[in-house]
Order: sequence, then structure tokens, then C-alpha cells
Amino acid sequence: MNKVAFSSWNGKVVDNRNGKATKGITVNLPAPGGEVAAMMGWSGLVAKDSKADIPSLTFNYLKEARKISCGECSVCMIGIDRLMEIIGRIADGKGSKADLSEMQDIVKQVSENSKCSFGQSALYPVLDAVKYYKADFAALISGEKKLAKRAYGVTVTAPCIDACPAGLDIPGYIELIRNNRFDESLKLIRRDCVLPGVIGRTCTHPCENACVRKDMDESLAIRLLKRAAADADFEQGSRPFGLPVKEKDEKVAIIGAGPAGLAAACQLRLKGYGVTIFESLPHAGGMAAVGIPDYRLPADILTHEIDLIKRMGVEIKLNAKIEKLNVKDLKKDGYSAVFVAVGAHQGNKIGVKGEDAGYEGFVDGVKFLRDMNLGTKIEPAGKVMIVGGGNVALDCARSCVRLGFKKVEIIYRRSLAEMPASDEEIEGAKEEGISIRFLAVPVKIIAKNGKVTGAECIKMKLGKPDESGRRRPVPVKGSEFTVKTDMIIAAIGQRPELPAMDKKITTTNWGTIQADPVTLKTDMDGVFAGGDCVSGPATLIEALNMGNRAADGIDAYLQGTDSAEQVSFEGVDLCKQRGRGFVVSNPAGDVPFLDPKVRSGNFEEVEGGFSATEAIREAQRCLRCYRVVVWEQA
Amino acid sequence: MFNIVINGKKVKAQDGTTILDAIQALKIEIPTLCYHKELSPFGACRLCSVEVKTNGKWQIATSCNTPVENDMEIRTDTDAAKASRKAAAELLYYKYPETQAVKEIAQKLGVDVSPEKAEGHDCILCGLCVRTCKEIVGVSALTFQDRGRGRDIDKPEIIFDPNVCIGCGSCAYVCPTGYVKMETDGDRRIIWDKVFKMTACPVCGRYFAPEDQLKYIGKTIGTPLSALTTCVDCR
Repeated sequence: MNKVAFSSWNGKVVDNRNGKATKGITVNLPAPGGEVAAMMGWSGLVAKDSKADIPSLTFNYLKEARKISCGECSVCMIGIDRLMEIIGRIADGKGSKADLSEMQDIVKQVSENSKCSFGQSALYPVLDAVKYYKADFAALISGEKKLAKRAYGVTVTAPCIDACPAGLDIPGYIELIRNNRFDESLKLIRRDCVLPGVIGRTCTHPCENACVRKDMDESLAIRLLKRAAADADFEQGSRPFGLPVKEKDEKVAIIGAGPAGLAAACQLRLKGYGVTIFESLPHAGGMAAVGIPDYRLPADILTHEIDLIKRMGVEIKLNAKIEKLNVKDLKKDGYSAVFVAVGAHQGNKIGVKGEDAGYEGFVDGVKFLRDMNLGTKIEPAGKVMIVGGGNVALDCARSCVRLGFKKVEIIYRRSLAEMPASDEEIEGAKEEGISIRFLAVPVKIIAKNGKVTGAECIKMKLGKPDESGRRRPVPVKGSEFTVKTDMIIAAIGQRPELPAMDKKITTTNWGTIQADPVTLKTDMDGVFAGGDCVSGPATLIEALNMGNRAADGIDAYLQGTDSAEQVSFEGVDLCKQRGRGFVVSNPAGDVPFLDPKVRSGNFEEVEGGFSATEAIREAQRCLRCYRVVVWEQA
Repeated sequence: MFNIVINGKKVKAQDGTTILDAIQALKIEIPTLCYHKELSPFGACRLCSVEVKTNGKWQIATSCNTPVENDMEIRTDTDAAKASRKAAAELLYYKYPETQAVKEIAQKLGVDVSPEKAEGHDCILCGLCVRTCKEIVGVSALTFQDRGRGRDIDKPEIIFDPNVCIGCGSCAYVCPTGYVKMETDGDRRIIWDKVFKMTACPVCGRYFAPEDQLKYIGKTIGTPLSALTTCVDCR
């Protein structure tokens, strides 16, 4: 929406209604699906079509804002009611000019004196409407016009919701925790996240990076709040997932019981479909089961959450590797659609001399973690060198400490600033005595009698940024050196191992399946794909979200309906708001961590959770930055 | 000890206290509805708003839940501060014109109020009952049912959990509007529509406390119930 008749977005007024177009104005606005005549959001009013009915839009906006106004502070809740009553009166031809100035007063007082970010920001566009569309309101007062009945669209988001790959209603579930309603909070979480205990422990929490409090004192501990809701349920014996309201005839086959497969299974089951998951490994859970060590995610948490999904009637066939995907055969077996979610479990090559020689003591990171998680006994060698800087490298290194390796060293080709592993992992590793050698990379594996004894490495320096935006490492000529090591673990990424197909499915250069980003449909009829085998190695929550979307896509495919259109907030600064109340500085609550000395010799869970009281206290820090957008359809 | 400035006057304030504490120490009167000195502040009624200087700018803040900081500058008597408090009272009075406690405060803050007697007993969502039940009684039988995304609640209210309530009546005692009603009649007490059986003192025969409350006290302090069934006067 770049060409506008009027805009007050972010408080910057652009008025083209008099015919004189203002040149060079671009406003980043939420982009709802379909054509928009005018829209009102937390940051302003934008009219594209000069025929849009602004008083009616204002009324409809207030109607939606009212649903979000929680009622815990009086000014916001009552202020909105009062504004709606005034517009209603004006629309009935019973208003007066004084009503318009009262509306402006209410907006000003509510914005200044509301308790949360929602009340502090939400009413500014109403002020703009009354101020800049005075004539339209006056026409209602004089009875010349009536409030138009148009079609309106609505969406609600928040900086954290938009940052979450699965779009969880974060302020919503935090609010329920704040009100000591842990069970309802978990119910809300489970709507978009079927593995709350797992995600509450392992998520990379992009929501926390988007939290408005981040730049004030400290982000909300959102991940730990989710965990608190899941833990409370676990301790109280667990509430089951709901059961489908109505059973459907169709069955869906899912290949892979990882987060994507499990999410799709759960959501499809809730819609009434029969679901069978085929899992090649002896355990369900995918990367959550075989990629993440127990000290980060205790096995019983994952098992428990998978059991809840199984209890819904989802069938999981273990040790059932699909070597060749034959859609015709699956259809014969009664499956109407297939969801491929096989993950990315094959380690990438590091491209050094000797890695294909089959040396004892050389292994890729994902295989190492998988073997360990499946119970293979790993004899600790003296020294291990882990190549890579991501979370898999850190998981390998910290596991090696626990397995009893004497010296654990990570070698990473860039510097700390570029390291993709999360800060808490790097910190945890350092505490456990793991050393990280930056700006170096192995070039050759040294072996004796078929067994690794060391690596020839070279020093790197940082050059110009590459396409990832990080500075590209460049070898420093003549800086080769040798490192003695008994084992090398290569953890520099992974790729999917796709089953053979009876027909060709389109794949990318990365060896991943190409699927529609919304419906996750592939170019093979009835076949959908998601998770790491589509996105490449990503996070659990991203995979889980693809499972959710695939369930919607499969449902739409089987029912012959259209998938719902999404509103995009890309390029819109959701943190920005025109009014900001006084915020008392109050840093996030802490949870206990096992002492590095105690935790190094075992796989006990390192991080503790919030108690109920601590969770309620933390939840009270939420600023509730809900953003409502309402638009008149063109 | 912090040095703070209120209405241009330099005063000392203890670390951990709030602006409202400091204001009250100066005998400046600011009426409140949701504040109680024994409970954690909540900031529901917005009636105690003052101006606080933040980054060189004066900003409205509720005094009950804003802790004092060193060198904090506060104004209570400016037009903006007064207008903010009056606007909050106006809105409350608009919503609950029949509730005496609201009407009194509105009148004090300069809102035009009806001369007729207010005889309503609305819940104004001040949360005093919720906090008393949680913080003083330690039971949490009352919680807010907030509105929120997808929750489809027209009128937010306080939700009562009959399974944990002990019938102590603290909520009725603290309620400023008379919304929470408690009726005690012989061996029965009715509160939030739940009927409690009262215990009679074996000495004087007076019904003095609900059974559930005595059981709760016994469990909390580890005293056998038999030691609690005699009323305090006869013990």
C-alpha cells in the first residue's frame, strides 16, 4: 500500500486527498490478503481509497480492540466502551460537536494512563480519524450520512507472536499464567505447539529477541514460561489433548515422527482424520529424540508428550523405514494424502583430505548424537575435536564432556560474533571446560593404522561478508599447524536423506524437497512435505509449524477448500508504538542451573524451571504489546 | 535512603517503597480504589496517577506500583496529573454510576455526579479480593477472567473456584463496593453462592468459623482440628 489517499502511520501524516500527491512516500504497512480500501492499526490510519468509510472503520476497529482490552485496568476497558457508545450515538444522529472533542480527550487520557502497551498504543488511530476525518463524523452528526455497512477483515499480532515461527499467542498464554490459570495457558500453547515441554526446553526463542522489554531491562523469559505451563501439567498428571468432534473417512500417511510429523499428526487427528506415522528409527521424536542430548531435553519429557499424541489415536510404526515412496501403493492401503517429514539426518562433508577413508575416530555430528541417544556405548577417547560452530557442534562437545573425554575442543572457522550456536549453549560449554579455537579449520585428517591421531589445520582471517551477511573466512597462507587428537566430530550442518520416489518430486540444490510455503504441497499430487527435509536444518519450532501448516494444507486438499490467506507484517516495525507509558525497570527472573562440577559427569537436566510463583511473577512483566489491525475490504 | 523531589520539595524515601508511600508521608491526599497497604500494588483503578520525570520528559505513572528511585522527580498537583486522575474517575463513574465508592471518589476529583443516592454494588475489577485471597489467605480461590485474543469474553469478571475456597470471608471484608456478599445465618455461611457449614464452639455454642477454614488453618499450621474447634474467646 504505497499510494495512499491518507496515512497517519507512525504518526507521520500524509494527506493526498486534496489531489496534490505527495511524492516519494513509502509506508511499511501490514499487508492483508486481498484488496484493502482503508485500514486502521495500532500505529495509525491509512486510507487507500478516498471512498472508504472512516467512521465505520473506526467503530469496527474499536469493536475488535475491545476484545483484546483485558479489563485489568479500568481506563482502557471503559474508555473503549465509552468511545463506542459515542460513535453509536453519533451514528444514530444524536451526536453533537462536543462528542468529537470528548473522544479526543478519552484517547489522550487512556493512552497516557493505561497499564499495558495495548492500552497505551491502540487508540491513537481513533484520534487520527476524529482529527483528520472530522467532516465525515460531522456528516453523521448532522444526519446527512449513515454509518456504512462494509466488509471488514481483522488480524491480531504482537512483536513476539510475529517473531515466533509457529505464531503462538504468547501474550495470551503469559496472561493466563499471570492469572494462575496454568491449565488454560497450556491449552492455548498446545493449539499451535503440540510439544510444549520439549519446545519450552529447547527453543531458540526468537520471540525473546523481539520482546519490547529487551531494550528496556530484559526480555520476558518466554521459553521458560511455556515450560512452566507444561511442567505444571506434567506434575498434575497431564490433561489429554482433545478428541476430534467428528471422525472423517480419510486417512493420512506421515513419513517421519519428528516435530513436523508429530505436529501434523496431532492437528490432522483433531480434524478427524486417521493418521499413521512411519518412523525409520526405533524411537519417535526425530531430532528431538536423537539430535538433542538428555541434559537439555530429558527423554521422559519427549516420551510423555508423544504418548499424549498417541492417545489421540495416532498410530506410530517404529523401525518402519520407507525406502521407496509409492503414492499409488499408499492410496491402495487407504491413505488419501502423504506428508513427507523425514528431517535432515545426514551430516555434511567438511571437505578435508581423509574424511572418506573410513578412519576409526572420525564421525559426523548428527550420527554421533544419534548413536549416543539410541544407546550405543561410546568409549571416551583422550581428546576430541569438534568441527563447527552451531548448536549441533555444541551438543556434541557438551555430550563428550559427559561421556568422559579428557579434553574437548571446538574448532570454528570464524569468530565468536559469527558463531550460530545460541549464547546460553556457548556459555554452558565454557563453564564445562570446553575450549573453542576460533578462526581455524582442519584441512587434513592425520591417521595411523586406520585410526585418527590428529589433524592438520590452517588459520583463517575474516574477509568480506558473504551472502549470509557474515564475514567470509579466508585461509591465511603458510599458517598450517598440527593438532593432536584421538577423535574428530564434523558438525557443519546436515541434509535430508530422501526416500526414492516412484515419480520425480522437485528438489532444490540443497537436496531438500520443494514445497509451497503456505500449503506445503509438493508438485506430486497428494504429497505434502515439511520440516527439515524442506527447509534444510532448522529449529524444532520451525519444523513444528510446518507440520501445523501441512495439516491445514492437507485438510484443504482433501475437503477441496482454499487455504486461508495470511497477513504479512514483513518490514513493519511491530515494536514501535506511538505512546509508551512509564515502565518500571524489573529484570527477568532466574532459574537454577546445575553446577558445572556436578553436571559434567552425567546427563542430568542442566537448567531448572520456574516454580508456579516464580512463573506468575515473571508473567507480570509482560507489557502485552498486542497489535490489532482492521481493514475495510475494497 | 533515596533523595527524591515531590512538587519541588526535597524529601527522603526508603529503598523499596513506592511513590504513593512517599506522597502519603507528605500528607498529600490522593484517593485510591484498588490499593491496600497490606497487599501488593496492582494498578487497576489508575486513580493514583502522578507525573514522573523520565529522560527529561514528564510522564504519567501510577504512584501505587512505581518504586522510588534516587533523584526521582514527581509532581502530583499539575493540571496534567489532576486531569489524568479526574479522567480515570470519570470513566469509572461512567461505567459504575450506581456504586457509592466510585461516586464518592469521582465527586472528590471534580466529576459532576448525580445528586441521587447510589445503591448499586458493581464489581469494578479492582482485584483487592483476588490479592487478599492469594497473598493473605494463601488460597487463590479468586482469579481474573481477562478478555483476550480469541477468548470471546464480553464482560471480564472475577472467577470463583468453589473447590479451594475456605469460606473465610476476607474477600467480602476487603471489597470496596459491596459486590462480594457474605451471609452468615446460624450454622450456614453463603459466600460467592457456595454454602459453608459453620462450626459451633463447644463451650459457648457460638457458630464462629466455617469448618473448611478451620481445616485449612489446621493443615497450614500443623495443629489438629480438635484444638481449633473451640472459639478464640473460650480457649
